[in-house]
Amino acid sequence: MDMRRVVILARRVFTQILHDRRTMVLFMVMPLLVLTLAALLLRSSPKDLALGVVNEDAGADTPLGHVSLAEMIEKELDASDSFAVIELERDQVEAALKDGRVKGAVIFAANFSQAVSEGGQTKVELRLEGSNPSTASNVRNNLSRLIMQRMASLATMTGQETVGAPVVIEPSFMYGGPEYDSLDYIAPVYIVFFVFFFIFLLTCVFFLRERSQGTMERLMATPINRLEIVLGYMMGLGIFALIQSAVVLLFTVWVLDIDYAGNLLVVFIIEAILTMVAANMGIAASTFATNEFQVVQFIPLVIVPQGLLSGTIWAIEEMPTLLQPLAYVMPMTYANQAMRAVMIKGQGLGSVWFELVVLVGFAALLIALGALMVQREVV
Amino acid sequence: MDYVVETQQVTRAFGDFEAVRGIDLRIRPGETYGLLGPNGAGKTTLIRMLVGLLRPTTGRVVVLGHDMPNKAVLAQIGYMTQAQAIYTDLSVRENVHFFAAMVGQHDARRVEEVIALVDLSDWTDKLVRTLSGGMQRRTSLACALVHRPRLLLMDEPTVGVDPQLRVQFWEYFKQLNAEGVTIVVSSHVMDEAEQCHRLGFLRKGVMLAEGSSDELRAKAGTETLEGAFLAFAGEEHNG
Repeated sequence: MDMRRVVILARRVFTQILHDRRTMVLFMVMPLLVLTLAALLLRSSPKDLALGVVNEDAGADTPLGHVSLAEMIEKELDASDSFAVIELERDQVEAALKDGRVKGAVIFAANFSQAVSEGGQTKVELRLEGSNPSTASNVRNNLSRLIMQRMASLATMTGQETVGAPVVIEPSFMYGGPEYDSLDYIAPVYIVFFVFFFIFLLTCVFFLRERSQGTMERLMATPINRLEIVLGYMMGLGIFALIQSAVVLLFTVWVLDIDYAGNLLVVFIIEAILTMVAANMGIAASTFATNEFQVVQFIPLVIVPQGLLSGTIWAIEEMPTLLQPLAYVMPMTYANQAMRAVMIKGQGLGSVWFELVVLVGFAALLIALGALMVQREVV
Repeated sequence: MDYVVETQQVTRAFGDFEAVRGIDLRIRPGETYGLLGPNGAGKTTLIRMLVGLLRPTTGRVVVLGHDMPNKAVLAQIGYMTQAQAIYTDLSVRENVHFFAAMVGQHDARRVEEVIALVDLSDWTDKLVRTLSGGMQRRTSLACALVHRPRLLLMDEPTVGVDPQLRVQFWEYFKQLNAEGVTIVVSSHVMDEAEQCHRLGFLRKGVMLAEGSSDELRAKAGTETLEGAFLAFAGEEHNG
């Protein structure tokens, strides 16, 4: 193998992109735009969600006198930025949810204060409208946070060590803290997704063009061999991809101010390897396409399933058992895991070596596949 | 080595369809050989086998003393196709430089020289997509010539080329010929054929007749090459 030829080919591919200003700008700026949009959406905490409160609490006698715990919570809910409280009777709840007056309704039973003061499990019913999962989880999260806070301060006041926890479940975050938001969780995999998406598409189109404009035929009529072509492409597009992902990464970290714990260099290494996988997948896929429209059709075929199944949004363990094995044959899964481990958990190369080895394996497999697929004999 | 290109009973099938059937070519050094025939005659298939892009189904292809396909021999072959086959988003120089480097020609002066040869010196740094079709064609030729090939294989290089440029192209070819470059060119334009030393009439993958244009006309007893082709084709058809 002649490395010089590989490098020359890589340089040519890179120069081509440089000359195509629109593509270049689009690929650099687009991810930033989309990411900014995602940031705005994910970070906007909904203000004054209408929350119905059914307060049947009869109160309890405590060392501090007769108090209604539910009433205290209700006042606090109303005072918070998250909710606008609407008082309801129990039999009004369903109707209020139905006509959209409230997004959720919390019901304090008659024995609420009593039960809390006696300790043990206390049940707070929460009816959610639920058609929009993110609103639902917003209500749930904010509500449980506020109740927990109230309980905790009450516990301090009464000198009790613990107060029975309401059933309302607060999702627990192992990493990150109160500052931690969905964007922090999504950003690492977002970078993965975009690197993959763009490089896959870019390689696909580039390679296809190489065939359709006849330059592949001419290239094959020079001493360069298939492996050199695939490697040259990978390198040329890879360098471009690395610049792109560096821009996205720095934008994420500095402009959008994402929390990250790990070493950015390790992040970069993961991206470099992912780039190889994506580029070679693009080469292999492009040999199945005969025009650029077909390349676009590869997006739902190759990119979307990976976006859905690789733990980008839904945790793999929470997926239907039937789908779980699929996640593990997708390169993006390993990139996601590695990126989250490094960016969120702050782990180093040592902890993600397995994922990296798998990714390198994918890349090697795809290089071989790509080299085999290049220039299928056609008239 | 007696012949630059030699094929022995070369046949190439695509599934059930035999595109090229039992062809024997013997092309001498410094010769311009024209493969003539209508579309679908097997010209492209034959040339692609000479370049080594296709393997013959049966038979043997020997180019510059080596059995094809052979990657190393390609450094001595210039190949030009009907398609432009250049990178439209690169400049003229970048294109020529790239294909030069692919065959191991790293001399920057040669790049400029060949660009001058095809009269594109004033357009060297222009992106190819901004150039006219004729200029793109000349860029394509420059890419095929930059490494001083000993053998130039061209598949319908003048298709879609205006008459003026076609004349110019044949002047380049003659010049190369004079420098000892062997040329194999396919065409379905008969007036181009007059420029070749020898011709091969190809139809439905079979070689109908071979010889200089004068020989072919004389043999067929016609005044034009076109007439000769039709005469041979009819003979084949009836026989």
